[in-house]
Amino acid sequence: MIHSIVLDPTAERAPAQRARLARPASLEGKVVGLLDISKPRGNVFLDRIEEQLAAMGIAVKRYNKPTFTRIAPTELKQQMAAEVDLLVEGLAD
Amino acid sequence: MKPALPDGLIVVAKADCPTCRLVEPLLAEIAQAGPLTVYAQDSAEYAADLPSSLYDKTLEHSFHLGIEFVPTLIRVENGVEVERTYGWHKEDWRQLTGLAELGEALPVMRPGCGSKTLEPGISEELELAFGDIRLQSREIDMGSAEDPMEACFERGWSDGLPVVPPTPVRVLRMLKGTSRKPDEVVGLMPPDLVPVTVEKVAINAVLAGCKPEYMPVLLAALEAALTDEFGLHGLICTTMFGSPMIVVNGPAARAIGMNSGVNALGQGNRANATIGRALQLIIRNVGGGRPGEIDRATLGNPGKYSFCFAEAEDADWLPLAQERGVEAGRSAVTLFPGEGVQGIVDQKSRDPESLARSFALSLRTVDHAKLAMAGDAVLVVSPEHARVFIEAGWSKQRLREELEKLLLAPGAELVAGAGGIAEGIPERFKDQQVPKFRPGGLLIVRAGGTAGLFSAIIAGWAASGSVGSSPVTREVTS
Amino acid sequence: MHDIADLESRQIPGVGVASSEFVQAAALQSKALGFDPAMVFVPHPIQDRTDDEMRALADGALAEILRLLQSGDAD
Repeated sequence: MIHSIVLDPTAERAPAQRARLARPASLEGKVVGLLDISKPRGNVFLDRIEEQLAAMGIAVKRYNKPTFTRIAPTELKQQMAAEVDLLVEGLAD
Repeated sequence: MKPALPDGLIVVAKADCPTCRLVEPLLAEIAQAGPLTVYAQDSAEYAADLPSSLYDKTLEHSFHLGIEFVPTLIRVENGVEVERTYGWHKEDWRQLTGLAELGEALPVMRPGCGSKTLEPGISEELELAFGDIRLQSREIDMGSAEDPMEACFERGWSDGLPVVPPTPVRVLRMLKGTSRKPDEVVGLMPPDLVPVTVEKVAINAVLAGCKPEYMPVLLAALEAALTDEFGLHGLICTTMFGSPMIVVNGPAARAIGMNSGVNALGQGNRANATIGRALQLIIRNVGGGRPGEIDRATLGNPGKYSFCFAEAEDADWLPLAQERGVEAGRSAVTLFPGEGVQGIVDQKSRDPESLARSFALSLRTVDHAKLAMAGDAVLVVSPEHARVFIEAGWSKQRLREELEKLLLAPGAELVAGAGGIAEGIPERFKDQQVPKFRPGGLLIVRAGGTAGLFSAIIAGWAASGSVGSSPVTREVTS
Repeated sequence: MHDIADLESRQIPGVGVASSEFVQAAALQSKALGFDPAMVFVPHPIQDRTDDEMRALADGALAEILRLLQSGDAD
C-alpha cells in the first residue's frame, strides 16, 4: 500500500488520528477477554492476569489466536466482540 | 510565488522530444550571443554542457512560465516576457535570438511535443504545489497499511456506503466546478454551528462521488438548507423521519444530466444520487449530525442517504421554482424536509375531478388522518396523471385550489378521541371546517416516467412553519 | 495491534501487551494503522523467563492494564 494524503472533510474539532474508544468508568459487571497471540510464555502471563482479575471479581474469557503471524480470524473476532466488553491481547515480543 | 524571470532568452525542452534534440546543438551558439537559461523538464543530461542549463525536476519553472509545448523559446526584457515561440520554426528562432544564420542546416520547421506539465495528473499536482490556490483543510496521512477506502469508513466519514477518498487533486478538481473561492464561508452548519467553507463542501462532494459541475447546484442547496426558515437544526435533531430533500428546476438540471423521468425518486442517476448525498455528508462530517448522537430519529427514512431529483418541466405546468418566484429560464433548488414516499394508485380516473378526489383522500393521511396543519407535503404528479389535468386546462394552482377545498374536514371528526382514536386535533376546533395543510403547505411537482398512472406524496416534517421547517427556494449561481 | 484496532471498530476497547523490544515497532505500526492502541510494555526478555518470573511480570503490568481499561485518566 502506498501512502496517501486526503483532506479532512470534518469540522476538525477532533484529532486527526482515529481516537481510542471510550473506556467504562469501572470494570464492575464487565467481561474482560484475554487473547493469547500464541507466542511462547504468553500463556503463563495471561494465566496470572486472569487469576488477578478473578480475585477482583471480574469475569474473564480466554481466547487463542491460531498463530501470532497473522491477524485473528474473522470468526474469532466476531465471537470475542459478542462475548466480552473489553479485550487484552498479549504477549508480543 | 512566481520566481523572477531571468533577462535574455529562455529555452524549455524535454530530452525525450526529437525536436528539442534537434535544436540542442544550437544552444551553445545562442548562449554565446547573450544570456540564455535552459530548463530541461525530464533530464539532467539535456544541454548539460551549458552552465546555464537547469533540470526543472519539480516543473516549478515550467509551471510558472505556462509552458504547453517543448521546445519553447522566450525572450525576456526587464524581467518581463515580451515574446515566445514553440516548436522549431527557423524564421521565428532567428528573429527572437537575433541570429540571422541560426540553424542553417536544419529544416524550416519541425513541430514540438507536449510539455511535461500537461501530462495527465501532473497539472493539478503542480497547481497544488506552485499555484495560487491555498487549501486550508487539515491533511490526513492515511497509514501505509490502510486501504484508503476502509480508512474513510474507520474515521467515521461514511453514511454506511463507501466514500471516495478526498485526495488534494480530487478536491482541486471539484473546486474548479465553482467560481467561488475555497475559503468563502457558505454559512454556519448545524448542529455544531461550524462555519462551512466552499472547500469543505468540495471535500464532501468528493466523498459523495459528485462531478465538479454539480458544485453550483450543491452550493445553492446548502445555502437554502442553512436559512433560518428551513430550520435545519431542528430537522437534524428530530425523532421524526425527515431530512433535507432537494428539488431542482431550470436548465442546470438538464445540463448536469439529472433525472426527472423514469425512477425519478429512485437510484441510478449520478447527479441525483451524489448531490443529495453530499448534503447529507456535510451535515454528518462538518455539522456533526450523526445518527445515534444528535440525530435520534426513531425510524428515519431511506432518503437520508440521498433525496434529490429534478422536476419534469416539459409540459404546460409552471415549474415549482417559477411558482415560488424564480424567473423563467433560471435554475433553482427547493429544499423540503421530506420524510419518504407514499404511492397513490389511480388507474381509472379519466377526469380531473375524480383524480383530484383520489389525491385528496390520500393526502389526508399525511402524518395521521386526524392531524391537520402539522406537516407540509409535496405531491409528485406523474406525467400520465398530470396530462389528465393539463388536457382539461387545469394549472397546478387550479389543482391546488381544488385539493384545498377537498381537504377541508369537519373538526368534530378530527379532534382527539373522535372515532375512538386518542390522537387528533385540539377540542377547540370541533365546530370548524379544518384545512389539512397550512396556507402554502402543499407543493406540487411533476416528475416520473411517462408510463404509469401513479403519483406520490412526500410528507414533510410534522413541524412546519415557524415551529419547524418551511420549504426554501434558492437560485443556482456559479 | 491490528486485532486491537479491529476489535475497537467493533466497539470493544482494547489494550495490547508487548515486550519493551516492541516499542519502536509499535510506534511504526501505529502510524501505519492510523491508530494508536493502548499499550503496556513489559521488560524484555520474555522467552527464557521462568514461570515465576512471568507471573511477576504479570503482577507488575496489572496496574497499568487496569488503568488503560477504564476511563477517568486522560491518555
